[in-house]
Amino acid sequence: MEGNISNKKFSGATRYVLDDELASIVNVSMALEMPLLLKGEPGTGKTMLAHAIAKSLAMPLIVLNVKSSMKLVHALYQYDTLTRLNDSRFSDSNRDVSNIEDYIKMGKIGQSFTSEQRTVLLIDEIDKADTDFQDDMLDVLDQMEFDIIEIDKTMKAVHRPVIIITSNAKKDLSDPFLGRCNFHHIAFPDPKMMRKIIGVHFPDIDSNLMENAVTTFYRVRKIDAVEKKPATRELINWIRALKSDPDFKPKTLITGEIPYLGVLFKKSQDYQRAVEATSGGPVI
Amino acid sequence: MFIDFFYSLKTAGIQVSPTSFLTLQKALNMGLINSLDEFYTSARAILVKSERYFDVYDQIFAHRFEGAELPEVQGFEIDEISRAMLDEWLKDPQALAQALDMDEAQLLQLTPDELIRYFKARLNDQKGRHYGGATWIGTGGSSPVGHSGHHPGALRVGGVSRNQSAVKLALERRYKDYTRRGLLTQDMVGEALKRLRNMIPVGPEDLVDIDKTIYQTMKNCGEIEIVFSRSLKDRLKVILAIDNGGWSMDPYIPVVQTLFDYARDQFKDVKICYFHNTVYDVLWEDPARASKPIPVEHLSAFDPQTRLILLGDASMAPYELMAADGSIHVEERSGKPSLEQLKFLAQTFPHSVWLNPASSQLWDYTPSIKTIRQIFPMFELSLDGLEEAVRHLMAR
Repeated sequence: MEGNISNKKFSGATRYVLDDELASIVNVSMALEMPLLLKGEPGTGKTMLAHAIAKSLAMPLIVLNVKSSMKLVHALYQYDTLTRLNDSRFSDSNRDVSNIEDYIKMGKIGQSFTSEQRTVLLIDEIDKADTDFQDDMLDVLDQMEFDIIEIDKTMKAVHRPVIIITSNAKKDLSDPFLGRCNFHHIAFPDPKMMRKIIGVHFPDIDSNLMENAVTTFYRVRKIDAVEKKPATRELINWIRALKSDPDFKPKTLITGEIPYLGVLFKKSQDYQRAVEATSGGPVI
Repeated sequence: MFIDFFYSLKTAGIQVSPTSFLTLQKALNMGLINSLDEFYTSARAILVKSERYFDVYDQIFAHRFEGAELPEVQGFEIDEISRAMLDEWLKDPQALAQALDMDEAQLLQLTPDELIRYFKARLNDQKGRHYGGATWIGTGGSSPVGHSGHHPGALRVGGVSRNQSAVKLALERRYKDYTRRGLLTQDMVGEALKRLRNMIPVGPEDLVDIDKTIYQTMKNCGEIEIVFSRSLKDRLKVILAIDNGGWSMDPYIPVVQTLFDYARDQFKDVKICYFHNTVYDVLWEDPARASKPIPVEHLSAFDPQTRLILLGDASMAPYELMAADGSIHVEERSGKPSLEQLKFLAQTFPHSVWLNPASSQLWDYTPSIKTIRQIFPMFELSLDGLEEAVRHLMAR
């Protein structure tokens, strides 16, 4: 397996602009078999990175979307008692009611362990869960095995998945958790990087439009007290909207008039603030 | 091989663990790192676990591998302070010249950097604390730079304000850490706070109640009836902002500590932050209000259901609320008057209260309390007041 890994090096994907720094961190983490923790503002491409890795290494991607109410067991496996109860009552399925294993379903982490192929496991927004969940999960990922209590069986990972964990910058994770991952903070792309990203998504974009759109984008990001600042995703959608509008001229952006503001600001309060801030001519 | 590097990171305050250092060694042994650039990124990913330390890491890395000069220890803090002070003074060069014992003409020849260096030299010349005297920066005395002195127009540099009309503070770093466990005498505070917990059962009815299901199924002669119950989960998030600055809150510290100790244990997520007198651009996560600022506008990203509890005596000079540069901390002044920030907070968190340790009978005599009461519902820090506050916080 070792040789297998070092042959496979990650070097970007068609829709993802990768900087060298991040590339080498991804490769080192893969080689060290350690989870990579990515922090950064929403919209800096944390989740996209996992998709890009999976795509470029041709591995299946398994996404675990962490929710605040989530318990670790749910991510590992689920014992479907209700189906079993139902089967025992009506006995019209081909499952064996006396065999509990028939009613164990693998959760996302379980799936990545049992998969025949090496997978990329994306654990998205880990900071939503409580610290117990985080620490316990890291134990499982460290040992690469977990127990299914109901059938007293230990599940061992067939292949060690490539683990990418994302977290929004708001909350700090616990020390033992941090100790077991490699860490990288993705900064919000600067205008230069942003132009590259736009270029990847719209290869045939008019340079005038790109220039004005990017400038306007960074200008509206500076509006105060906005709950959710527009991120890369919003910019891409916005440009898509601008491009599809036949009446739109890039020049209008310079005058401070911003069409489709709703694509950039999605919360009603934010939208209000943005309208107020932009209505009085160009924002300085 | 890189042990020096490891220890210089550690002394700089980055929490590097030996395990992560061994991981780095492993990566080196595996031949994963072949250039200095790769070493830079990999070592950072493996050793440094928070972007807050990236800057320090950069400095140390540059020092260790490229021979760059390390900044002086503590240099950073003084830098920040002196820069802020000089920004102030530069608006009034005459006062600055006077304060630094220089002619105005002499002063005009200096660049801002030279000025800062001069000020730092004055600070660094002084070893230990200093009271009285006429030469160095300290408390009392007649040196132009210091506090509670008698120099006209002098700048106050930290310490406890002897005179209630606040002079500007700049070097305040000696506050007690209120998170320490103190004498727990006021059980009633805990009693009232307990009401905050155990409330609003949230979440859908998605929990199978096994006992009830079995019971109902048996009752139905084996016809399965599944009983769901609401998953009871206490998801109350609380932001507790405490005024821990200045003499005026000192008498209430034991009460505050009690409240603290209870609050720590009682909620799912308690964020405790600090401010002095009123909220300006930032709240502080550390009791010393020095190293961990949270910009107020970042709070808009929090769950609006979060309960915001402000605790303070709300007694201050009116200008501290109204003026755009009302903060008595020079580094906190950047535009918006505190009143606006408080309104913003009240808007962001519809469930918010202000707890005031001062007796409600005195509230009408202090203008700033009146003003703040128009923004936040204010309650007394007494059992009755707390109960009312809790009732208010839990109202839909």
